[in-house]
Amino acid sequence: MGRAIVITSGKGGVGKTTATANLGCALAQLGHSVVLVDADIGLRNLDVVMGLENRIVFHLVDVIAGRCTTQKALIRDRRIEKLFLLPASQTDDKDSVTPDQMKALIIELKASFDYVIIDCPAGIEQGFRNAIAGADEAIIVATPEVSSIRDADRVVGLLAAQGTPTSLMVNRISPQMVKRGDMLSQADVIEILALDLVGAIPLDDEIVATTNRGLPAALNGKSPAAKAFADLGRRVAGEEPDPVRETGVGFFARLGRALGLSPA
Amino acid sequence: MWNEIKNFFVSARRSTRDEAKGRLHLVLAHDRAGIEGAKLQELRAEVAAVIRKYVEIDPEAVEIHIERVSRQDSQLRVHSPLPTRGSVTS
Repeated sequence: MGRAIVITSGKGGVGKTTATANLGCALAQLGHSVVLVDADIGLRNLDVVMGLENRIVFHLVDVIAGRCTTQKALIRDRRIEKLFLLPASQTDDKDSVTPDQMKALIIELKASFDYVIIDCPAGIEQGFRNAIAGADEAIIVATPEVSSIRDADRVVGLLAAQGTPTSLMVNRISPQMVKRGDMLSQADVIEILALDLVGAIPLDDEIVATTNRGLPAALNGKSPAAKAFADLGRRVAGEEPDPVRETGVGFFARLGRALGLSPA
Repeated sequence: MWNEIKNFFVSARRSTRDEAKGRLHLVLAHDRAGIEGAKLQELRAEVAAVIRKYVEIDPEAVEIHIERVSRQDSQLRVHSPLPTRGSVTS
């Protein structure tokens, strides 16, 4: 029985879809079988981020409505073994699916895959309810910004209410800005949200370029973000690569810590 | 002492990072408590009225804040001036 992990954030535009795609690639590269589920019905995007948009025939709503088998709707990624995508429908809307139907679908997928990674839509309404329904765990994606962290906190509360274990991925950290004192550090975000960190992804131009091509950075990238996503995959898989490197910790914070003068 | 040394070298101005942290703590305290501004003002007025039953105070001087202590706990902080005996309140 596989693990179902939902990637969620509350706020839109913080990198959920990119994180889903790259985490999926990273896990598949470790040899695990992975299916990515786009739960953003009506606004699908995981297909384009993965570069698989031309191969969609059936989608999630077709499967749930019984118009095709689950097997038929899955798109196999030819670049890497054991990586599949279940695309969302672009024409239906969020309430064409119920949380119970999603749960049943995710359970079915867990029987054949090691990992079911669910890309959650923004917001905390029906689409969110559907996306978290079948998830065993959640990874919150937050950027080091007030609005993103505020929304993340709200989602953490909702997930806690239904007893879903939750961890944190901080996205788009600029070490230079943290050093200047113009950006919250990953330690700040951890402290505020009180979650365990599974990944910290630096701000990296390469992500925009790889997304243009539909080729997730983690597939063969050597950029800082690609490496950070590979680490995320290892950590999710239970390997303990290294502790998450703290990007952008200033000289004084490090010195203070080394001398035991300021808290870690 | 360490903070003083650090501040001496780093900068005197409050960084936008610290400002973001401060604003987040405040906004999350309110979000988590689920008390909106209007309700909080109502609460403030009522608390002020209760205090006035016992001591002579200016109800406008009563302040009320929600503060986040930790992820699980927020606390309500009420500030009220208390007249010392013999002094004249306005």
